[in-house]
Amino acid sequence: MHRFASRLVLALAIVAALAAPALAGAPTEALSASIDTIIALLADPAYKNPDTRPAMRAKLITAIDAVFDMKELSRRALGAQWNRFSPEQQQRFVTAFGQLLQNTYLDKIESYTDEKVQYLKEQDLGTGKAEVDTRVVGKGKEIPISYRLSDHSGWKVYDVVIEGVSLVQNYRTQFGQILVNETPDALIAKIAAKKS
Amino acid sequence: MPTSLPRNTFLVLLAALLLAAPVCQAAGTPINQESPKPAVAAPAASATAATPAQVDEDYAETAPAPVADPFYRWNKFWFGFNHLFYSGLMRPFAKGYAFIVPPMVRKGLSNAYQNFIFPIRFVNALLQLNFTKASKEFGRFMINTTLGVGGLMDVAKADPNLQPGNEDFGQTLGFWGLGDGFYIVWPFLGPSSARDSVGLAGDAVANPLFWIFGPWAIHGEDNPWYLSYVVKAGDVFNNLPETLETYDSLTKPAVDPYSAMKDAYIQYRRNAVSQ
Repeated sequence: MHRFASRLVLALAIVAALAAPALAGAPTEALSASIDTIIALLADPAYKNPDTRPAMRAKLITAIDAVFDMKELSRRALGAQWNRFSPEQQQRFVTAFGQLLQNTYLDKIESYTDEKVQYLKEQDLGTGKAEVDTRVVGKGKEIPISYRLSDHSGWKVYDVVIEGVSLVQNYRTQFGQILVNETPDALIAKIAAKKS
Repeated sequence: MPTSLPRNTFLVLLAALLLAAPVCQAAGTPINQESPKPAVAAPAASATAATPAQVDEDYAETAPAPVADPFYRWNKFWFGFNHLFYSGLMRPFAKGYAFIVPPMVRKGLSNAYQNFIFPIRFVNALLQLNFTKASKEFGRFMINTTLGVGGLMDVAKADPNLQPGNEDFGQTLGFWGLGDGFYIVWPFLGPSSARDSVGLAGDAVANPLFWIFGPWAIHGEDNPWYLSYVVKAGDVFNNLPETLETYDSLTKPAVDPYSAMKDAYIQYRRNAVSQ
């Protein structure tokens, strides 16, 4: 019995040793789990069916919402200007900006066919932040996409970098330009108007 | 030699840019986005002294100094012009072309041109002392020219070590420490920077077309200098469907398309220089 137990321990130790290098860090785990969920939803035949599509779409949006930290993303997209916004304006900004991103990127996500996501490497950016480099491989196309995540009770994405272009920084340049002449309320109105 | 006039004016313009570039060096920024130096984040963060230190530190990793835009009015005008020209006028032609010509053929033409201008990438890899990249480019050229039937097929791509590169003269200047200078939009050519505009001249010289149809070509007085422009314009048109797709994905979600394009161009180039 004792021998069996020691063998069991040994076997478990070997399994653990073999499995450990294959396990990526927590940020990659969290990201790949979310992406897998989203891909599973899109690949589901129910998504193609017009009757079940609205329900599936709602599920997809919930799944996407769970990956992104919209407040953090908004705060960074405004940069130092964030503090010019009152808490109430910040709230409205987060909602409007989230809606804008959802409207523009949902179509892109839904046009998913059979692209594969490869997880290349994970970098520690310090103070509970990490960057996960991935590559989306589709028909004759390869797009490098990096996700920046921060850990606020679970790893969530606060920036997406496509071909070296940071989404957050791109919006920060735009918002900064608009806020030179316009008020926070005017900016929120502009963003909200964009979604229609 | 009246035919050489457009070429000369172009060179004069670029010489002027060359002189202007060092002056605007002050606006240039360190290439490395992850630079720990606080000075990098300072221009963006200094706007609000009231911002807590913790927030400033947060931006450090993503906020390099913005690029200078001294020719805002000129740039905005040509941005609008290029938008009307490519996204408006040329879009139906690009769509028609993409509809008629199979993707394989378009890809083949694009590959062949990229293979033909391999000296640009090769020379610039060497100028950046990156011999690994240079040998990759050389290997790709040899394989694709032979097995890939004159570059029509990118067979080398199957090897993970022989992925396509994109080195150019602008990146070489960046590698040796030259900053963006300032942002500039050229008619038809689109977004660029002071440094990359100089780079374009370097690329034009490293392009074999320059030596075949250029001023020192052996044909003498009546050499068809305009043919190099025809070939280049042909390549631009061949790639236009994809270019417009990229353009749309950048400007459609934008609240301010002009700023979005400016920032995306600068970020893309800084990233390219750092690689």
